[in-house]
Amino acid sequence: MPQKLSIPQFVVTVNNLSVMRGEYLAVDNVSFKLLPGTHTAIIGPNGAGKSTLIKTILGLVQAHSGEIKLFNASKPFKKLKQEIGYIPQKFSFERTFPLTVSELVGLGLNHQQWWYSSKRKKEIIDRALEQVHLTKQAKQKIGTLSGGELKRILLAYCLVVPRRLLVLDEALAGVDATGEMEFAALLNNLKQEHNWTILEVSHDLDLVSKYCDSVICLNRRLLYQGSPSTTLTSENLLHIYGSLVSPTCHHHEPSRLPESF
Amino acid sequence: MNLADFLSLFSLPFMQRAALGGVLLGILGGILGSFLILRRLSLFGDTVGHSAMLGVVLAALLELPSTWTLIGFTVAFGLGVIYLIDRTDLGSDTVLCISLSGSIALGTIGFSYLKGYRGNLLSILFGDILAISNTDLILLLLLLGVTLAWLIISLPEQILLTLNSDLALVKGVPVRSHRYFFIVLLAITIALTIRAVGILLVNGFLVIPAASARLICQQFVPFLATAAGIGALSGVMGMVISGAINLPSGPSIVLVQLFGFLAVALWCRQG
Repeated sequence: MPQKLSIPQFVVTVNNLSVMRGEYLAVDNVSFKLLPGTHTAIIGPNGAGKSTLIKTILGLVQAHSGEIKLFNASKPFKKLKQEIGYIPQKFSFERTFPLTVSELVGLGLNHQQWWYSSKRKKEIIDRALEQVHLTKQAKQKIGTLSGGELKRILLAYCLVVPRRLLVLDEALAGVDATGEMEFAALLNNLKQEHNWTILEVSHDLDLVSKYCDSVICLNRRLLYQGSPSTTLTSENLLHIYGSLVSPTCHHHEPSRLPESF
Repeated sequence: MNLADFLSLFSLPFMQRAALGGVLLGILGGILGSFLILRRLSLFGDTVGHSAMLGVVLAALLELPSTWTLIGFTVAFGLGVIYLIDRTDLGSDTVLCISLSGSIALGTIGFSYLKGYRGNLLSILFGDILAISNTDLILLLLLLGVTLAWLIISLPEQILLTLNSDLALVKGVPVRSHRYFFIVLLAITIALTIRAVGILLVNGFLVIPAASARLICQQFVPFLATAAGIGALSGVMGMVISGAINLPSGPSIVLVQLFGFLAVALWCRQG
């Protein structure tokens, strides 16, 4: 009897994707697949098309050619979006924007949840804030938060709805080294807890080596793909960046969570 | 003016209509102005307001009903400006400046072609809230109803797209439709406000109550409610002051808004 082969259900399938930004070919014929529960980092020099690639997957930028498939599903893209969490690179707003942390997290609720009773909504929001260890900041205005806290609040925004895919576009840009470590450790814990698939653009090769299962090296074209240990070799980094020195290479302390965790 | 005179003044139907009009315009201006300032579109209100001169001239040249022509014109102009901002690589302030200059130039040239008495057209600069008709009030009530329904249905989406449009798009919020619908509501409000307070003061109705509320509110819904409340209260107080000491009504309302803003700003500074 021939045995049935189990076909893996990919979370993201990108086939021969090319993206134009004006006259410029920003992403050139890129293909890759993401397995459920994996953490993948896209690395590459500035202008390599990393953010463009991520934004195309999210439907924020139009593809020139190629195919993107999410969750192998036939559902309309709009419905699938509910299952995707996104933390943008730039999250700028005026400091006096009249919105509290709780309100921002509550904006992540979906249409059905929005009509829940206030008590039930508060429970969901409080639970999300608890998971990112920012319960005390619930009533604080968002303009008073530090860069690291703001990124954790955006994680809480993603937590109020069950997600399958989390996309981060240089989420740690502008966050200090301690904030980076805290965020990366928290993200890793939440990933295990919720079985998220994570796709992120990162410049921090130390954190990529520590937390990611696979790396996509991009410079408009896909240069290398594989596990951090096989991909982030000196030879490859020289080819990708033109230098042996990584763009951001912190020497972090061994993984240790702050006391508040 | 003694109390009896004052009360008898407010027993007149045109004063009652004006006071109610002031309150409705204040609420609408407060709500829509809140989004206007947070989306950094304050100059947009001014541009559409000033472009109304061209709308009024067109209505006079083509002998069309002024209210409906003004509403149609401001909506078309507002959508056109937003379309240009979306489709060009120029900054929004540049597009707004070009649109403002162009519409005033065309309006002035059109004005020179008008024959006969042109005093009515000049009144568009300063408006006349005492001339608010029952039709205007019905339109304002309808507009307020639609605005509130729009908010009840889509408030979280409106806040999200105001805060970060990429987050809203990823969540599946129809950002473009929401933006254009907001512009339609805003343009109609501007058209109706212009009839009451004129081109020169229309933006005050939109910006000042919202700016005051922004200084004192931490949360979004209280911010909206406070802006609407300040707008409504200014409408009543401005009408009362203008009736009591015989001042022009529209400017009186805007002055009340201004003093309210200054008081709040000083209070916040001390706090």
